[in-house]
Amino acid sequence: MINLRVAVEAPPILEPLVVRLLAHEPTIRTDNDAVLLFEEDDRLEYDLQGFSLVVHAPSSNNIDGDVLLIVPGQPSAHRLIRASSKHNTLLVTERCDQLCVMCSQPPKSYHTDLFDQFATAALLAPEKAMIGISGGEPLLYKSRLLEMLGRVVEARPDLTFHILTNGQHLSAADVPAIAELGPERILWGVPIYAVDAAVHDSIVGKSGAFAKLTEGLTVLMRAGASVELRTVVLRQNWDQLPTLADFISSRLSFSSVWAIMQLEPIGYGRMNWRKSFQDTSEDFSNVARAIDISMARGQSVSLYNFPLCSVPHEYQRHAPSTISDWKRKYLDFCDGCSSRQACGGFFEWYKHGEGFARLGGT
Amino acid sequence: MTVVPFKFRKAVNGQILFTDDGGRFFRSSEAFLERYVYEALEDQDLAFLEVNGFSYTDEQDLAYAGFAYAFASRLYLPRQLDYIILVPTLRCNLACSYCQVSRVNEATPGFDWTDETLVSVLHFLSGLQTRTIKVEFQGGEPLLRLDLLLAVRDFCNATFEVCEFVVCTNLQVVSPEAWAFLALPDVSVSTSLDGSKEAHLNQRTSTVSATNRFFENLMHATSHLGEGKVSALPTIDPRHAPSPRSVIEMYASFNMRSIYIRPVNFQGFARKRFDALATTKAWIRYYSEFLDAAIVHNWEAVDHVEEYYFVHCLRRVLRAGHDGHVDLRNPNILGSGYLVIDHDGRVYPTDEARMVTRVGQMDLSVGHIASGIDQSKVDALNEEASNNFHPDCVHCVYQPFCGVDLIDDLSRYGRIDLPKHQTDFCQRHMAIFDKVFELLYSEDPRVQKSLAMWAGSQSIDPLLVKAHA
Repeated sequence: MINLRVAVEAPPILEPLVVRLLAHEPTIRTDNDAVLLFEEDDRLEYDLQGFSLVVHAPSSNNIDGDVLLIVPGQPSAHRLIRASSKHNTLLVTERCDQLCVMCSQPPKSYHTDLFDQFATAALLAPEKAMIGISGGEPLLYKSRLLEMLGRVVEARPDLTFHILTNGQHLSAADVPAIAELGPERILWGVPIYAVDAAVHDSIVGKSGAFAKLTEGLTVLMRAGASVELRTVVLRQNWDQLPTLADFISSRLSFSSVWAIMQLEPIGYGRMNWRKSFQDTSEDFSNVARAIDISMARGQSVSLYNFPLCSVPHEYQRHAPSTISDWKRKYLDFCDGCSSRQACGGFFEWYKHGEGFARLGGT
Repeated sequence: MTVVPFKFRKAVNGQILFTDDGGRFFRSSEAFLERYVYEALEDQDLAFLEVNGFSYTDEQDLAYAGFAYAFASRLYLPRQLDYIILVPTLRCNLACSYCQVSRVNEATPGFDWTDETLVSVLHFLSGLQTRTIKVEFQGGEPLLRLDLLLAVRDFCNATFEVCEFVVCTNLQVVSPEAWAFLALPDVSVSTSLDGSKEAHLNQRTSTVSATNRFFENLMHATSHLGEGKVSALPTIDPRHAPSPRSVIEMYASFNMRSIYIRPVNFQGFARKRFDALATTKAWIRYYSEFLDAAIVHNWEAVDHVEEYYFVHCLRRVLRAGHDGHVDLRNPNILGSGYLVIDHDGRVYPTDEARMVTRVGQMDLSVGHIASGIDQSKVDALNEEASNNFHPDCVHCVYQPFCGVDLIDDLSRYGRIDLPKHQTDFCQRHMAIFDKVFELLYSEDPRVQKSLAMWAGSQSIDPLLVKAHA
């Protein structure tokens, strides 16, 4: 597993500090750039505006170009952006107004506003990076978020964003601001679990959520936004997948892709695993129907977090490798598998004993 | 709650097909139609309509926006010019009975591009905004001017990022140099194979030796040029049609799975030989039989086949934005996505426009490669390119899936204002869409297997073919 934090010895700071680590002096050096002075074993010493910044990182962690968030008094820093990775996500808040049964990042009640730091970090990102924005619910701080996006989108025309939001906090008044960001710059990832409002609401733990969601999606449609609809397959919505496919391909066909996702066993997803995990290696039928309906209607559909061998052959082309590098693992029966390169494997925290029953058998 | 406007048509079994302006559809009964028309919808009707997105509460809600989006995405948006049909020569080494392109004998001088025409064509290509290009070489027989094909390809490869070339050849005489050209990775072959050896001989090659030569060349092409590089079209004379089964088996034997059957096209010199109007009905019958034969074939055989145009129409029924075929779009904007450049440098909006002009019916050229495009003429054609508000189409249940082919109307009738239902285009497409829905709602597993395959799916889910009592 890849470490998302590194130990640091930072100069005395009062405010959270964003620093980009550089192995060599850049052509144009910003105030946030720290340039490597010495390297000894796992200890790297950088020059940051004349101060010493020490980072402890094993050489297997390629940290050149990384952007760190150093918080006063904390001995380790967040690697906000790992320059060598395609999977970088800014967690802009941990507050949320839903309580989803599968939440991988259960919400917390407090919030620290770091939008300025996140904007600085994004501006220091490598060229053409796609930056994820997640939470909690990012749109709880809609004006701060849109302000940050507006700033970065304008200053860095090469960057794109992938925002995960529950779509509960958008109104018709937001259409111009969203349209202005540009459909090619932002991909909005929005979960939808069922067409039956009661089922959706109970999965996300908020009554009235489905009605709000359709409002939000209408706003995104009218703004011409790019949207990725996301549905985690659960025992709770298993029967609803075909009607959801029908709904999406007839009324939400503006969405770029519909992601049908397997459950991630962490956070509430782990807590609720037994009552929520739908073993699609044993029964794929409703996912198959959902894909068939989508294909016939020309709706692009993708299976996320499905190990390839859990998917019937004729549907495997819909299952790209999606589990992020830092939380991906393979099991012993993956050794020697010819599909391993194309397969996203399993979540680091997946326990096979209570998982896909049909996989790995002899 | 407001119900969206429906168009409707009786289906074969007495059921009625309903579609909305976004192309979403369901079947219901005559009784429902009466309730709809007389505004006496019952609770169960309203529930069905709401669940399926056919009604909305206000214009800000998702049902309304989804309906509007479905309508808008049915419209073809003209794109930048990235597809050019070139006719480097009108000369041909065959004289097919139905020749569509109007051709001249192989030895006739004065029907090839001049050096100046080549220069003008390349200059024109260099001015395009696109970074990808598709070039289709038509004729005459384009392989008679391999030198021009090579010159165009070299130029395109130096000018564009991605190039694709299609040679529409009769594969009658292919020199070693021509084989080498056809084998290039960015070159593919489109040829004619009229369904059976007999039909091919009667309609195209005239002699047994010429017929054998063609079949040898076709065998060489399909076995040496690589998977998917050779496609063929059968031109069918419905009065003397080879059996659908024999056509399918012939194509399958060459490993060609997508068959685009076309009736003899009554323009150019063919017009003088065949009675066009009388054969439309015969064609419609043949087409339906062909599809039934394909379904039987696919149920039994491993090598599945499709009828190219039917698949296109089926997909246009099921989804929006399926605009990949230039003959069926709405609006069918001409002169934008593609153009035809003739042997004399004249520019046409479609290949059929070239033929209509060639037979002296009317001048449908829109400019010359040396002097440029006459935009006012293109604009005049495009004024009638949409079926959305056409009085004959506006109530048609198939309007969202259908299109307009002005050039076809002009070529057949010399005018575009014939009542649509009297035109060949309308009659053929009504029949095709009737067939699409007949098959979509069929419960025959053999039909469902082929339909799913043709729709690009694994099954035709019941939710795709809704019915309401």
